[in-house]
Amino acid sequence: MAAVGTYSRGRSTAASIRLSLLQFVADPQWLLPSMIAPVLFGLVSFELFRGEGPYFLTYAILGAGMMSMWGQTLYGSGWATGQDREWGTLEPTIQAPTPYLYVVLGRVVWNVLSGLLGGLIVYVVVVAAAGGPPTLPNPAAFALMFVFVLLTLAAVGVVFAAFYVYTRYAGFIQDIGEFAFYVGTGCMFPVVILPFWATPVSLFFPPTWAVDALRYLAIPGYVGFSWGVGWDIVGAIATTAVYLAVAGLIFHRVERHVLEEGNLSQY
Amino acid sequence: MSSGPAIETRGVTRVFESRKGFLFREKSRTEALKGVDLTVERGSIFGLLGPNGAGKTTLTKILSTLLLPTAGTALVLGHDVTRETDWLRPRMGLVLGGERGLYNRISARENLRYFADLYGVPPEARERRIDEVLERVGLIGPASDQRVEEFSRGMKQKLHIARGILHRPEILFLDEPTIGLDPKSARETRKLIRCLVTDGVTIFLTTHYMFEAEELCPKLAVLSKGRIVARDTVDGLRALVGGDRTFEAEAYGFEDEEVARLRAIPGVSKVVSESYGPTTRLTMRVRTTEATLDDVRSRLTGHPELSLRERRTSLEDVYLDLVEEEAR
Ligand SMILES: Nc1ncnc2c1ncn2[C@@H]1O[C@H](COP(=O)(O)OP(=O)(O)OP(=O)(O)O)[C@@H](O)[C@H]1O
Ligand SMILES: [Mg+2]
Repeated sequence: MAAVGTYSRGRSTAASIRLSLLQFVADPQWLLPSMIAPVLFGLVSFELFRGEGPYFLTYAILGAGMMSMWGQTLYGSGWATGQDREWGTLEPTIQAPTPYLYVVLGRVVWNVLSGLLGGLIVYVVVVAAAGGPPTLPNPAAFALMFVFVLLTLAAVGVVFAAFYVYTRYAGFIQDIGEFAFYVGTGCMFPVVILPFWATPVSLFFPPTWAVDALRYLAIPGYVGFSWGVGWDIVGAIATTAVYLAVAGLIFHRVERHVLEEGNLSQY
Repeated sequence: MSSGPAIETRGVTRVFESRKGFLFREKSRTEALKGVDLTVERGSIFGLLGPNGAGKTTLTKILSTLLLPTAGTALVLGHDVTRETDWLRPRMGLVLGGERGLYNRISARENLRYFADLYGVPPEARERRIDEVLERVGLIGPASDQRVEEFSRGMKQKLHIARGILHRPEILFLDEPTIGLDPKSARETRKLIRCLVTDGVTIFLTTHYMFEAEELCPKLAVLSKGRIVARDTVDGLRALVGGDRTFEAEAYGFEDEEVARLRAIPGVSKVVSESYGPTTRLTMRVRTTEATLDDVRSRLTGHPELSLRERRTSLEDVYLDLVEEEAR
C-alpha cells in the first residue's frame, strides 16, 4: 500500500503562489489591471493634485498607489476564488487535503507582490510626469509602511475570499460594497474629511489606520486622526490581527457550510 | 491495512433546497437521495447505475467528502465522511470529469504539479509520479505541455483521471469515467481501472454504459429516484428480473390466449409485447434450466412468419426492467 502523502501548509501556499504566477504569465488580460491601470491612475492623480500645496506629489502617489493596490490586493484575492467557482476548480481544490485557506493565502501573497509592482509603476509615472521625485522626510519608514498597508489590505482580502467560497453572489456583494469601502478606508481622501459617521465605520477596516499612518510619515504637517501615527500603527496591527483571526475561524465554517449547501459547483 | 468494508452507508439522504427569484423567493426542494444503504468490499470495483437525475453524482460527492448528507451515515475505509475528512481526503481520489474543473490556461503538467502539491505527493517523487500518470492515461508526449484550453473533451477527461490517481489513493471515485472518450481510449481506461484494482485500490464508479459495468464490476447497484432498487452481481440481477435468457418472438400479431399460454410455461417470468408497424415482438425473460425455445414454439401456432430468437439477458435488459418497474 502506498504511503499516504501529507500536505504541508507552506508547500500548498507556495503552490498557490506559483499557480497565480503561471496564470498571470499565461493571460494578457491581467496586464490591464496590474500594469496599465497604475499608469492611468498615476497620470490622473497627478493632474488632480497638481499645485495643491508643496506635497502634492506625495498626495498624488498615495492616491493612485492606493487605487491600484486596492484592485490588485484586496479585490484580487476574492476574485480568484470566484474564478475557481466559475471554472469548477473549487471542487477538486476543496476535496484536496489542504485547507482552502492556504490556497487563498498564496494568492494573497501573490496579490501583495503585484500590488507592490502597481505601486512602483505609479511612483515611476508620477515622478516622470513631475520631472523629479517628491520630498519624503523618511523614505525608509515610508517604504516599510507602504508594505504594511498592503498587508492590511491583504488581511481584508482573505476575509473577502471566504465570501467567495460561501456564495456565488460574492462578486455582486463586493461590487456594491467596493465604492463605499474604498472611500471609507480613506484610500483616496483622508477619512477625516468624510462625514462624521464615516469615521467610526471606517475604523473597522485595517487599511484606514495604516493609510493614515502612511500619510503622517510621508507628508509633513498632515492632519489625520488626532491620536497620531503611533496609535495608527497600533490600531492597524490590532485590526489586522482581528481580520486574520476571523478569516482563520470562518474559513473552516465556510468550507463546512458549502458542503452542507452543495453549491460548490454553481457559479 | 484495516479490514471491514471500503464503503458502508446507512440511510443516506440528501435534500437540496434551492431558492429562485430575488424578491419573491420560491423555495424548491429536491430529495436527491432517499435513504441509501450500501456496502462495498475492499479491493473491488463497484458499479452504480441509474437514470439521469437518479442521484449518482450526489452519492459520489457525499462519499468523497464534497457534500454532507442531510441524514444517515457513511463510512469510507471505516471513517466517517462528515467528521473524518482530514484522515480520508489524502486517501481518496475523485474524478468528476467534464469540461470544467481544470485550470485551462496552464498545461496539463502544471495542473498536475499544483494538485500534487495540494495532495502532499512527496516532492522528490512529484515529477516521476506525474510522468507515470500521464503515461497511464495516455497523455504523455507533447500534449502534456499543451495548455488545457487546447484539449479535446476526451483529453480533458484523461487529465481528470490522471489527477484522480496522482496521489495513489486507496479508494477512487469515478463519476462516468469514460464519458467523451473514443473507443480505444475508453478501453484503455477500463484496463487502467482493472490494473488499479490489482494494485489494491477500491473503485466506486458510476456509468451509463452497461457493457462497461458488466465488464468491470463484479457487484452493481441500480439507483433510481434516490433509492437503491437492486444490488447484486450481474448474474444475481439477471435472476432478479426473471431469468438469464431472453427470448424474442416476432410475428404479425399475437392472440391474447397465446400470450397467456406463454406466460404459463414454467420458467418464463415476464412477457412484454411491443408493436413495430405490422409486426409485434414479444420479449420474455426465461430461466434456462426450465423453459426452452421448443416449449415456446409449441405454444405459438399458425404464424407463418414467426421468428424466434434466444439470447443471454443483457445487463441493459436488466437495467431497463428495473428502472421501468420503479417508474410504474
Ligand atoms: N446543487 C444542487 N442543487 C439542487 N439540486 C441538485 C443539486 N445537485 C443535484 N441536484 C438534484 O439532485 C438530483 C440528483 O442529481 P445527480 O446529479 O446526483 O444525478 P445523477 O444520477 O448523477 O444524474 P446524471 O446521470 O444525469 O449525471 C437531481 O434531481 C438534481 O436536479
Ligand atoms: Mg451525474
